[in-house]
Amino acid sequence: MQPFIESLPPEVDAKLQSAKPSEEQVLIQVSADFSDDQAYGEKWLVATKLRVLVVPADGAVEEIPLDAIQDVKTEELVGGGCLVVERKSGAPVYLHYSSSLIPKFAEVAQGIGQLSKGKPLELPTEMERTRCDKCGRLLPEKDSKCVACIKKWHTLIRIQSYVNPYRVQLTLVVVITVIGVLINLLPPLITERIIDDVLIPLSNFNLLVWLVAGLLGAYLFSWLSEIGHTALSCWLGFRAAEDIRAKLYRCLQFLPIRFYDKHKVGALISRMTNDADRLEDFIAFEVPYVISNALLLVGIFCLLLYKNWVLTLYVLLPVPPIVLGGIFMWNRLTRFWRLWSARWGRFSSHLNESITGIRLVKAFAQEDRESTVFDRHNDALRQVNVSGNRAWFVFYTITNFLMSFGAFFVWYFGGKQVLGQEFKLGELTAFISFLWMLYQPLRWFGDSYNFMLRAFAGAERIFEVMDAPSEPFDNPNARNIPKIDGRITFKDVMFGYDPGKPVLRDINLAVEPGEMIGLVGKSGVGKSTMVNLICRFYDVTHGTLQVDNEDVRNVRIEDLRSQIGIVLQEPFLFNRTIAENIRYGNPEASFDEVMRAAIAAEAHDFIVAKPDGYDTMVGERGNKLSGGEGQRIAIARAILHNPKILILDEATSSLDTATEKKIQAAISKLIEGRTTFAIAHRLSTLRNANRLVVLDEGKIEEIGTHAELMGRKGLFYNLVKTQKETSAVMAVGGGKEDPGSE
Amino acid sequence: MDNTKSLSDEDKAKVQQPVTPIQTPPPECVNPKDIRLFRDPPWKLRLTIAGDRSYLMVRVVRAAPLSQPSRYICFLDEKNEVIWTVEDPSVLDADTRRILEEELDQRYMTAVIEVINSLRNEFGVSYWDVQTNRGNREFVVRNVSESAQWVSARRLLLIDVDGNRFEIPDIDVLDKRSFGLIDMVI
Repeated sequence: MQPFIESLPPEVDAKLQSAKPSEEQVLIQVSADFSDDQAYGEKWLVATKLRVLVVPADGAVEEIPLDAIQDVKTEELVGGGCLVVERKSGAPVYLHYSSSLIPKFAEVAQGIGQLSKGKPLELPTEMERTRCDKCGRLLPEKDSKCVACIKKWHTLIRIQSYVNPYRVQLTLVVVITVIGVLINLLPPLITERIIDDVLIPLSNFNLLVWLVAGLLGAYLFSWLSEIGHTALSCWLGFRAAEDIRAKLYRCLQFLPIRFYDKHKVGALISRMTNDADRLEDFIAFEVPYVISNALLLVGIFCLLLYKNWVLTLYVLLPVPPIVLGGIFMWNRLTRFWRLWSARWGRFSSHLNESITGIRLVKAFAQEDRESTVFDRHNDALRQVNVSGNRAWFVFYTITNFLMSFGAFFVWYFGGKQVLGQEFKLGELTAFISFLWMLYQPLRWFGDSYNFMLRAFAGAERIFEVMDAPSEPFDNPNARNIPKIDGRITFKDVMFGYDPGKPVLRDINLAVEPGEMIGLVGKSGVGKSTMVNLICRFYDVTHGTLQVDNEDVRNVRIEDLRSQIGIVLQEPFLFNRTIAENIRYGNPEASFDEVMRAAIAAEAHDFIVAKPDGYDTMVGERGNKLSGGEGQRIAIARAILHNPKILILDEATSSLDTATEKKIQAAISKLIEGRTTFAIAHRLSTLRNANRLVVLDEGKIEEIGTHAELMGRKGLFYNLVKTQKETSAVMAVGGGKEDPGSE
Repeated sequence: MDNTKSLSDEDKAKVQQPVTPIQTPPPECVNPKDIRLFRDPPWKLRLTIAGDRSYLMVRVVRAAPLSQPSRYICFLDEKNEVIWTVEDPSVLDADTRRILEEELDQRYMTAVIEVINSLRNEFGVSYWDVQTNRGNREFVVRNVSESAQWVSARRLLLIDVDGNRFEIPDIDVLDKRSFGLIDMVI
């Protein structure tokens, strides 16, 4: 079905049929989710090649002939939007919709625009899915997997899938466990024989010796199997947990930038550490016992039934209320532990922020306030911990109390049977031993219940990250371009970080290999966004972006990015040595190459002047270096990486003039033979660019060389003029920051 | 916060010396009575400052829609530049105030949650089915406990995965069941 022909309810269809000639083909037929500007409801918009009709659920149809349309546009409101059909004369027609429909109506507005201008209608043939095909639930992300449907796999099965690669070890654990369980069943049976065949008849010493020896042997084997079991299961558990952590980290590395736009770093780190810890404990210390205890439970239960089924029924009396209680507590406790994980995420997020920003905290003397905020998070964590543990503890003690009721029944009814000589004394003691053995795994299940729920809450958060769609690195149809020439073409590119809010519009630009392009414009006009698109941190909403005449979406991301070099305003350096940082994009490079890159970047002199030279640790984010030093290392890194496409995003704006001169020299060596995109506020630094692209409100306003644009006396000329004036003012005022700086 | 607790008396005296406050330019002096909002033609909002100037295309926005919903209202011109900010709209004349209210109602499509019919939280995604002042609605929020914004101690703003806004002005006013549902996820 076409996405822009939605099916109409019968009463709306009837209205529509009477409003237009029946032979007129419907081209667009969509519903808005507001009935007016205030209330949710439905209102339909239908377009044919002659007219646009707005059909409300109740009320009259409004008709606008296509030739009476002046313009169609969408207006952005808070939490929604509005389609405005402006007429050549008379009041416009409005159609309100929620934010969910912004992408749809952005297309519809374009479509009606095309129709009214007599152009052929070009609408996407597919819209992103918003609901799950299977269960009909709303999807958390368009076109993503439905988490609720994934859940049917169930968390436990997914956790178990991480144990699967170690099938041999797992089988071994199970075999040892079964042997251990069987051995554990022996001692009560032996004591039964001792009482009934030796102690009550008061004879048969030889048998006693054999039986005691058997008892000793049973305990010995039980101990050995316990050792084997624990050693193996620990190995297995930690291995599986390591795999989960590795997978999670890989997922985090390959998630698109968009994911990080939406999540806080601290909260993500907490998933990696805390939630993974919970899961690790569960797999290492709980999962193996699930098997052994379940087996023990079944084994003992069968034995009890075999020994005396009437007594066994008494033992089972407290079980139904415990099971019911368990089901009730499941949801309650799971919620508590989910809440705990979420609060821990917030706690860790605050911690991360305040420690990272410690200089600012101190500079504004806000230590006390930050501590207060911390206390609040800490307290919230305690509260949920207390509530969760209290709920669990009440449940646990009641369960224990109920279970001990079974023992009372057995002593009473079993004792009666012994007195009536229906049941032997030895059998009763064995029965009671088994009963306590039955309680042991039951109690264990009660104990681990809490851990299990905590681990499950953590696992859910981990799997949520793993299930987030990663960047399409493995697109099988992607083309290999191991050597890019560096030709970049924007064709009718439109892009917005949020659908319906375009940041870039109608971008058409062809850049030849080796050309240097300066991107110019006020802050927020989309310069950095263009660069983000070239790196494919985001995909274009409309149009195409081509690298060497190939749509960038069809090029292997790895090939593309390995040939792009970036130097940012604040270079990010890892807490490693200078040499390692320079080598980051090219780890195989020899020391000789590293040094030559540093020389080209004018960095060699200051590096060797340091006591540890190239082996100097740069500190976290490079904080042991000055801004200019860090910048030159970043340039050396880009030089060594030897990219075909180079991006300089405000690479020199935070430096003093002397350092900038040095870096300019370094940069001019760097750009030779590479397609370069440079963003700079100091317009004079772009003088060497082959062409300057002046952006305004997301559109390309002017393109030309420095001289051409100055001659044209347009936007660029004005920008240069304002900058000259402001720098004159700045010189007088003591050099405030550039007013337009991003 | 008290920065002076560890200082000697002499130092304290220094700290407490009057400091010239940083001068901020006063807002443009416009007499609120001179401001007039009107629609001409009826679908175009215009603003005139009597005896001064007139704007042909005007938008009305709240400076702080969450913390100051009924104060600090800004008038923007076609280029999104602020013409003037009124701290307290009650000083404006009645017609202007009425139009201002209408414009604000149209711009802010936030729904106020009255009852929560159902709320499920699975795998970090919460599914809401609510009754609002604008009618019934289903929506999805990712990571609700991380993404919900507490505007004040009892006032909550939820932004769903598409950017729709839902507000609970006071969670204590919700019925017991709705409150219980919220309490379990946030």
